[in-house]
Amino acid sequence: MGLLNDTYTLFLRELLIFKKNFTVNIVRSMIFPIIFILLLGAFGSAPKNVPVALVNYDNGLASLQFVNLLQAGNSLRVVSSTTQQAAMSMLGVGNVAAVIVIPAGFSGSQLPKPDVYVYLDNSQPQSAAVVNQVVNQVSSEMGAQLASSAAADPVTDPVPVVSNYAYGAASNYESFVVGGLVIMVAAFGSVFSAGFSVISDRELGNLKAFLTTPINKFSILLSKIGYGTMQSLLSAYIGLAIGVVLGATIAAGFIGLLELIWIVGLVGLGFGSLSIALAARSKQLQTYALIGQTIVMPTAFLGGAFVPISLLPPVLQTVAVVNPLTYAVNAVRAVMIKGSLPIGDLVLDSAVLLAFAAVMVAIAFLLFRNTSEQLS
Amino acid sequence: MRLPNENAIEIDNLVKKFGSLTAVNDVSLKIKKGEIFGLLGPNGAGKSTTINMLLGLLAPTSGAIRVNGINMLKEPEKAKGQIGIVTQETVVEPELTAEDNLMIFGRLYQIPKDELQKDIDFALKLSDLEGFRKAYAGTFSGGMKRRLETAKALMHAPQILLLDEPTTGLDIQNRSKIWDLLRKINKEENVTILMTTQYLEEADQLCSRIAIIDHGKLIALGTPSELRQRIGMSTILEVTADNDALPKIERIFRKVGLEPKVLTNKVLAPGGSKPVEKVEKLLKLLSASKIDVHNVSMHEPTIDDVFLKLTGSEVRDTAGSFTGGRGMMMGRGR
Repeated sequence: MGLLNDTYTLFLRELLIFKKNFTVNIVRSMIFPIIFILLLGAFGSAPKNVPVALVNYDNGLASLQFVNLLQAGNSLRVVSSTTQQAAMSMLGVGNVAAVIVIPAGFSGSQLPKPDVYVYLDNSQPQSAAVVNQVVNQVSSEMGAQLASSAAADPVTDPVPVVSNYAYGAASNYESFVVGGLVIMVAAFGSVFSAGFSVISDRELGNLKAFLTTPINKFSILLSKIGYGTMQSLLSAYIGLAIGVVLGATIAAGFIGLLELIWIVGLVGLGFGSLSIALAARSKQLQTYALIGQTIVMPTAFLGGAFVPISLLPPVLQTVAVVNPLTYAVNAVRAVMIKGSLPIGDLVLDSAVLLAFAAVMVAIAFLLFRNTSEQLS
Repeated sequence: MRLPNENAIEIDNLVKKFGSLTAVNDVSLKIKKGEIFGLLGPNGAGKSTTINMLLGLLAPTSGAIRVNGINMLKEPEKAKGQIGIVTQETVVEPELTAEDNLMIFGRLYQIPKDELQKDIDFALKLSDLEGFRKAYAGTFSGGMKRRLETAKALMHAPQILLLDEPTTGLDIQNRSKIWDLLRKINKEENVTILMTTQYLEEADQLCSRIAIIDHGKLIALGTPSELRQRIGMSTILEVTADNDALPKIERIFRKVGLEPKVLTNKVLAPGGSKPVEKVEKLLKLLSASKIDVHNVSMHEPTIDDVFLKLTGSEVRDTAGSFTGGRGMMMGRGR
């Protein structure tokens, strides 16, 4: 009773301070997601309307068909150029990402057809990759058409590919990034609220003042953990909201949002406690901030927040297995992309995160126990 | 009829060791109810360690502390509830309003909900901050923050108030406001006050009894006048000047037949018999020597002098400076 009441009083104090700095807090929680989603979203998805210069020395029917096919998707923006020299100079100054040259005689009937030359600006690897892909696709389409009209060598026939998506929801890179981002901002949210307020209260003398009042000192700890968890949830849901505005989808809908309260709450609890354990041992705010950053960033990246774990080197894949954020990120992705959090996943993810939170709370209690001796 | 315990605080054979260092060495003190008690000592004397044990922040190595008869070691939460605390650093939350600062601490001191608002109003009135109840404490001046903190310590109507250097860093105006407040609550509410201070004049003016500790040991205990009598000094003659002129002044003191002590920026000595004659001679010799003397004064011995005699060191080496004669004190600028 006493412990809960005192915890509530101290939590109320954090809320009143939070209220005073409300705008700053919200804006701070928004900046990170916006920058990350715009930045990584742009990196991750294939570029569109890549400018290419086209030099057509043929102008026959087949070459026009080739150009039409190049322009068919909105992947490339074709700029015509009369000479190869003019096109190459456009490439040199970076006006276009590639130059495509169709040789004379392309539309003629002789086989094999003369080579189409493609010059790529490989200082723009993403754009170059798109150009390569489109050109290859178009040339295989043309190849297939030629094969049906004239009996070409069947071995060179491209194998038609039919893509099937595993999940019904329209998955895009934004959803993938937001899934990882939500967990990262949740971890940051608690680290930069719970631990921070312990350190600033110590510097201002508040911690000592609390300890001289007739309260159970663990109510201080509990209120800080509660504050950190609240900040985690707030940061995560602001991140989620911004993600949706910028194009991410939440396949599981409203139920999924409720499931995430539990997952994100556990992340906040664990990282909030971790941050208090750190704060109990850091003399200076700067040291604390540095350690906090050093822990959260790599943990999030190694948890597959921005790069799928299957793409990580084998050693780091092993690390990912014992990384609690792996399971949190997995849960968020399940909700956003798969459309539901399967019971099996929910049990495993919850168990790992619960264990992590429990260990961190225990460590925070241990390190906080002799705080008053250290303050004197 | 139950015999009332007449001691507010009892400290028995208190010892605190940090490794091989003994910070508090077998200190025993009884502070009576209704007293204003001063605990003096230079930095590192064991003052703060003693206070931290009284606050329940530090566990003693051995010895006992009882607050209104409640054992601090056995029932720390109950004992802490008896005490109001004003710490050395002004502790108010700048991001909360004056009212919310009081509300949070009122709740932590377990003031019942239905009395809380009344106590907050009382505390705001006491600290003369009624007009600022909705203002954030971060916008307050140093003196206002100090008053708010003092009111915060008094809000739960403690019978004992513990102040750790309550006026350090305050200007003369705010200092005397705090003094008035302390006298008032001592008289009207019969609150026992235990304060530490580096300002000897403050202890001299406010305290009914004074204890001096040095190197962890209690070296003197008594009323200010008892302590003054104890060193048996007559009028003190004091000359202030730049430090490099002090050896010359010391020689002049000896010529006059005084036994001088040289401190920072000044030379002083007990006047003994016929102090006025000695001052005359001193002035003559000083003006003949053409030393740039800032001030020459003759005064009754103060706690300063007691302290100097007992510990051989000057309190103000580590405290703020007292300038412009005895009556005026300047806060230390941080």
